Amino acid sequence: MSMHSDLYHKRFEARFSDGKTAGSHEVTAELTARGIAITTETGAAPLIWPYGALATSEPLSQHAIDALVTYSHQPGATLFVPGPRFARSLAELAPGLTTRAERWRTVTPWLWGTAALVALSVLVWMANLSPARTIATMLPDSIRETMGRQVVRSMSNNRKVCNDPQGSTALKDLTAKLSQATASDTDFNVTVIDWGLVNAFATPGENIVLTRGLLESAQGPDEVAAVLAHEMGHGLEMHPETGLVRAMGLSAALELMMGGSGGTLGNAGLLLLQLSYSREAEREADDHALRILKEASISPKGFASFFERMHKKSGGHEGGLGSGLGDMLSTHPQTDERLSKTLAQGHYPSKPSLSDAQWEALQAICASSEKLQ
Amino acid sequence: MNTDTTIEPWGPQGGEPPNGSTQPPQATQPPGGSQLQMSWLAPIGMIGLSITNFIFRILTLGIYDFWARTEVRKRLWSSVRLHGEPLVYTGTGKELFLGFLIVFGLILLPMLIITTSLMIALGPDTAAAGAVQLVLYVVIFFLFGIAVYRAQRYRLLRTTWRGIRGSMEGSSMTYAITYFLTMLLIPFTAGWIIPWRSTKLQSIITNDARFGDRPFSFKGGSGPLYGPFAVLWFGAMIISGIAFSAIGLIVTYMQQAYGADARSIDGQWNPEVAGVVGVTSMLIVAIAYLLYLLLSAWYRSRTINHFAQCTHFENANFNGRVTGAGLLWIDLTNLLIQIVGALFVILCVVAIFLMLSIIFAGIIGFPTDAALNPQHAAVFTSVAAPIFLLIVALSFTFLLPVTQARSMGYLINHLDLEGTIPLDQIAQSAAADVNVGEGLAQAFDVDAF
Repeated sequence: MSMHSDLYHKRFEARFSDGKTAGSHEVTAELTARGIAITTETGAAPLIWPYGALATSEPLSQHAIDALVTYSHQPGATLFVPGPRFARSLAELAPGLTTRAERWRTVTPWLWGTAALVALSVLVWMANLSPARTIATMLPDSIRETMGRQVVRSMSNNRKVCNDPQGSTALKDLTAKLSQATASDTDFNVTVIDWGLVNAFATPGENIVLTRGLLESAQGPDEVAAVLAHEMGHGLEMHPETGLVRAMGLSAALELMMGGSGGTLGNAGLLLLQLSYSREAEREADDHALRILKEASISPKGFASFFERMHKKSGGHEGGLGSGLGDMLSTHPQTDERLSKTLAQGHYPSKPSLSDAQWEALQAICASSEKLQ
Repeated sequence: MNTDTTIEPWGPQGGEPPNGSTQPPQATQPPGGSQLQMSWLAPIGMIGLSITNFIFRILTLGIYDFWARTEVRKRLWSSVRLHGEPLVYTGTGKELFLGFLIVFGLILLPMLIITTSLMIALGPDTAAAGAVQLVLYVVIFFLFGIAVYRAQRYRLLRTTWRGIRGSMEGSSMTYAITYFLTMLLIPFTAGWIIPWRSTKLQSIITNDARFGDRPFSFKGGSGPLYGPFAVLWFGAMIISGIAFSAIGLIVTYMQQAYGADARSIDGQWNPEVAGVVGVTSMLIVAIAYLLYLLLSAWYRSRTINHFAQCTHFENANFNGRVTGAGLLWIDLTNLLIQIVGALFVILCVVAIFLMLSIIFAGIIGFPTDAALNPQHAAVFTSVAAPIFLLIVALSFTFLLPVTQARSMGYLINHLDLEGTIPLDQIAQSAAADVNVGEGLAQAFDVDAF
């Protein structure tokens, strides 16, 4: 301790309170090798407060103009020493009391925690694990069904559901044909919404929503069949369920992170994540779609032509179905990739997915509509 | 000095035993107590603290916030001086964190899960869902009152001066019920219950508050606030009346000046007329709003001064010299400071983002086609965008330590403690301690400091 000898034996005027009453009296404080020595002016033996068991009312910074010291073995008692000299000397003798030391003490575990969390996320991502998907597959059918209904309800946003009888029959035929071809005993339920936007999306519980705009822009029933097959692919892989679980988990985490005031931010994160599926998910849906079309003996040409047209329509960039924010946020596979996949299907015997009469009926399905139940 | 009490500074483990005959030297209390001067010693280095806290909050994904808050409070409390000696904040970040976790786990999360599942089961548009929503609002407003009270209690329990701690004796239920019922009455009384309500709530808090074993007391009613409130109420009416008439006059004048040209045949406004009317009415609304802010700040200042006057402790009471202009000035400049802080943070983030992009582009090569590689776009979407959003949302709290110090400083500088307090007779309170912080209040964002 000799290195500090220049700090010792300076006497400071101070005030001492015993913590039993709010009274106080004047004392002299002296920094010694053993600790702070507190002496009353009558010359009683000094009270020694060792440096290791001290605390200050606020961490000692270079701006400190005084110091209020407490001692863990004498709870309630306080020593107040005015003037910056004592505070600065004490900071040298008890470095644990400085701003820097206190801050690092509290922040270090959390920095490690964050680093571990980041590492874990990278690991989960690299190992292609998806906790959200695991949870999604565990959801009972009834919950997925109700989730799906709510999503359709909120996305359709009070628009009407098209229900022209002939069109509905044609749609049911097409859906049944494709459902059978999925090679799983899943029955898909397709709803057409009276909405001009060209869009289609899969929602939880094997529900698919098409828009009037999409039916109008499709050049033939095979294109609609292709879109349906693609969305069925999402449904079979439980992508909508996974997306919802992930969004819910993330918004809960954000809420926690923002100290409970992250409501708005949580919603923004939700939006970002719901906007589009990953490229991987789109590839999976595409693979399913081409397999389903082949099984149902429907030509994959509609698949290639529809997605290529959507691609051109969005200005040559990525985009098309399901992307609301333009190409920046879209993750749909490149059209080239889709084309080559389609070509790889080769030629197989195919017949039109719907008769001309049925196709006309389907396109006119919005001739009558009703409010969503 | 007061000889009723003996001061025994030497604790049991405190080294040498006291010298038997020694009376502590010179305590400063005259009989009847001493006058206490309250002062504000503006804290130094709050901008530096803002920067450190902000960086740590980002690096710990926001969790450090609880410790950041605590360090700010330690500095703020320490700037309040009684007799030149600081108030001490003894709360810890861990307590705030645990308090938040408990509220999050026991109240917020269950509430979220219950309402979400009910909404899914019942459907969002049904009457049953509406009833659930209503019940939820009632619960939230009730919890809000509890949160205000408990936050106050936690802060008092964690405030000491000369080692003597504050506390609250009483139940948060009384406060929460008063808070909730009187709030329901606000619309039915056209706001006229507000002065009575705020006085009632303030008196509950004050009368429950203790310093050591001595109570604070609230002496006075809401009567003196009704004059200022009438000025505020009718003033607001008059201001909006004048503003609307002025806009009406301008529209009429423009219509007359342009005659038939004011509107086209299909009823569309002439763009020139629409422009003039738009700009002038915006100006009028802005001026009216500023006037209203001044008026409401004036009412607020009268409330603070009145409450100070009514707050008694032993033989002393507070005296407030807060003014409306002073409050408004602090509020507006604080707003400006927060905006400047947020802009600064956003600029820094954009600069760092650009620098990183240039570095990365240097490593992996500049993209040859103009379109962003979708793989990179995916990374941007899932990683960079949420982080950016988080930082932008936090940026408005960047300079909060600075603005909080200004608000608190203004208040303390305009409050005096008049009369005497027998300090030697005030003993430590035996009030039960709490060991977790003000979770509810934080969840509802009710705490000012």
